[in-house]
Amino acid sequence: MNVNGTLIWYYHICKREVWLMYNHIVPDQNDENIALGRFMHEITYQRQEKEISFGHVKFDIMMQTKDHIVIGETKKSDRYEEASRYQLLYYLSVLKEAGISASGLLLYPSQKKRVKVELALNEEKKLKEIIRNIDIICSQTEPPEVEKNRFCKRCGYREYCYA
Amino acid sequence: MKKDIFIFKDGELKRKDNTILFLGEEQQKYLPIEQVDAIWVFGEVTLNKRFLEIISTKEICIHFFNHYGYYLGTYYPREHLNSGLVILKQVNLYSQDSMRMPVAKEIIKTAVKNILIVLKYYRSRSKLVSSGIETIESMATQIEKCQDINELMAYEGNIRGVYYQNFNDIIDNDNFQFIKRSKRPPLDGINALISFGNSLMYTSVLSEIYKTHLDPRIGILHATNGRKFSLNLDIAEVFKPIVVDRIIFNLINRKVITEKDFKKQTHGTMLTEKGKKKFLKEYTDKMMSTIKHPRLNQYVTYKRLIRLELYKIQRHIVEGDNYKGFVARW
Ligand code: SF4
Repeated sequence: MNVNGTLIWYYHICKREVWLMYNHIVPDQNDENIALGRFMHEITYQRQEKEISFGHVKFDIMMQTKDHIVIGETKKSDRYEEASRYQLLYYLSVLKEAGISASGLLLYPSQKKRVKVELALNEEKKLKEIIRNIDIICSQTEPPEVEKNRFCKRCGYREYCYA
Repeated sequence: MKKDIFIFKDGELKRKDNTILFLGEEQQKYLPIEQVDAIWVFGEVTLNKRFLEIISTKEICIHFFNHYGYYLGTYYPREHLNSGLVILKQVNLYSQDSMRMPVAKEIIKTAVKNILIVLKYYRSRSKLVSSGIETIESMATQIEKCQDINELMAYEGNIRGVYYQNFNDIIDNDNFQFIKRSKRPPLDGINALISFGNSLMYTSVLSEIYKTHLDPRIGILHATNGRKFSLNLDIAEVFKPIVVDRIIFNLINRKVITEKDFKKQTHGTMLTEKGKKKFLKEYTDKMMSTIKHPRLNQYVTYKRLIRLELYKIQRHIVEGDNYKGFVARW
């Protein structure tokens, strides 16, 4: 199975959403308050011109110091910080596998906030566990049940889950 | 909000730059493509491949009706929402009676509940429909015992027969008498109205199915015969009483539609263009009217309710949790 940054991101939002995404069951396309989906859309499409690709991983900022690379992700708000952090950690691990040592930076321009992200040993372990869990979730024949969480209100699947 | 477009005039539907243009004999009209949900064509309209191309990229369904108002077919652009998993599970449900029957029964039970809601409303307005209600209520208890789809459909047919008999008690106009359901051709005004209204409902449901992962060719009640759409016929059962039939009663009792809105032809009775337009006006108003959805806790249009019903069906198919049909509250 191909775990990617997007699934890592959704894993921290809602496990059910991971399964639905993985199985190509898309959220409502005309939903007027599909904030979450649109949010992902923005970060995946808006940056197409300036993004930097490495394999199937893409970042929007890359800085190089003497002996170290820093990759950055700009986000609108820190509402999804946990999700973004692990997404970035995942990118770092992909780079590491390719023999590139890097660290990450989450940038919230509107909040004038920056968060440093390092692939420490314990983080690496956690990431592996997350990937394993995503594997398990997606290999189920049915999605995890609806569990009300704080993201449901703005989720594109809301009507699908609650109707 | 995107709009449904109904075309009665004769003319040409064209692609013009990146939008669509209707070129009628007297008027030309741009239809901003981003705002179009689906198109219903009643007039004599020509169109070409360039036009179909833009319609396909914008994922718009076009429903065609012939001169008499019969449904001809739908241009259903290639499936845009693809989930192999959903299709596999949908086929699986269709092909296994043990999975299919409970959903089929729930659809019929919901349709019958909505029929009863309509009748009870008219009973509260002093219409003589009590015995019909009793008969249907007792027939409804038998649905659970049905063993297969054919038996279920036969039951549904009988219930509908009783229901149609009540039409005469509800309708205040002696010029409209319902004798029996006749489809091709409709033999009287009521039949013409039912046929027209039902085909609108079938196409509305089809347009909504397009926005889900469900395959409209694979029905639950109606057999899949590879060529026709059938899932839309199934789900329409739930909404016909509370949308189409209510419109018919309203239009006749309020004398919005009169005998003048029909033309008799050698092969039956048809709505005139004016009659169709009156019906459509009422139909779109109804579909755009809102009700408070009990579980979502927000106002939704009837059109949206159809989509929600399809989401429930899709969820049932994918996750096996119980489908509960939408029952109107009054
Ligand atoms: S509505 Fe809630 S439960 Fe459903 S996918 Fe979205 S976040 Fe998950």
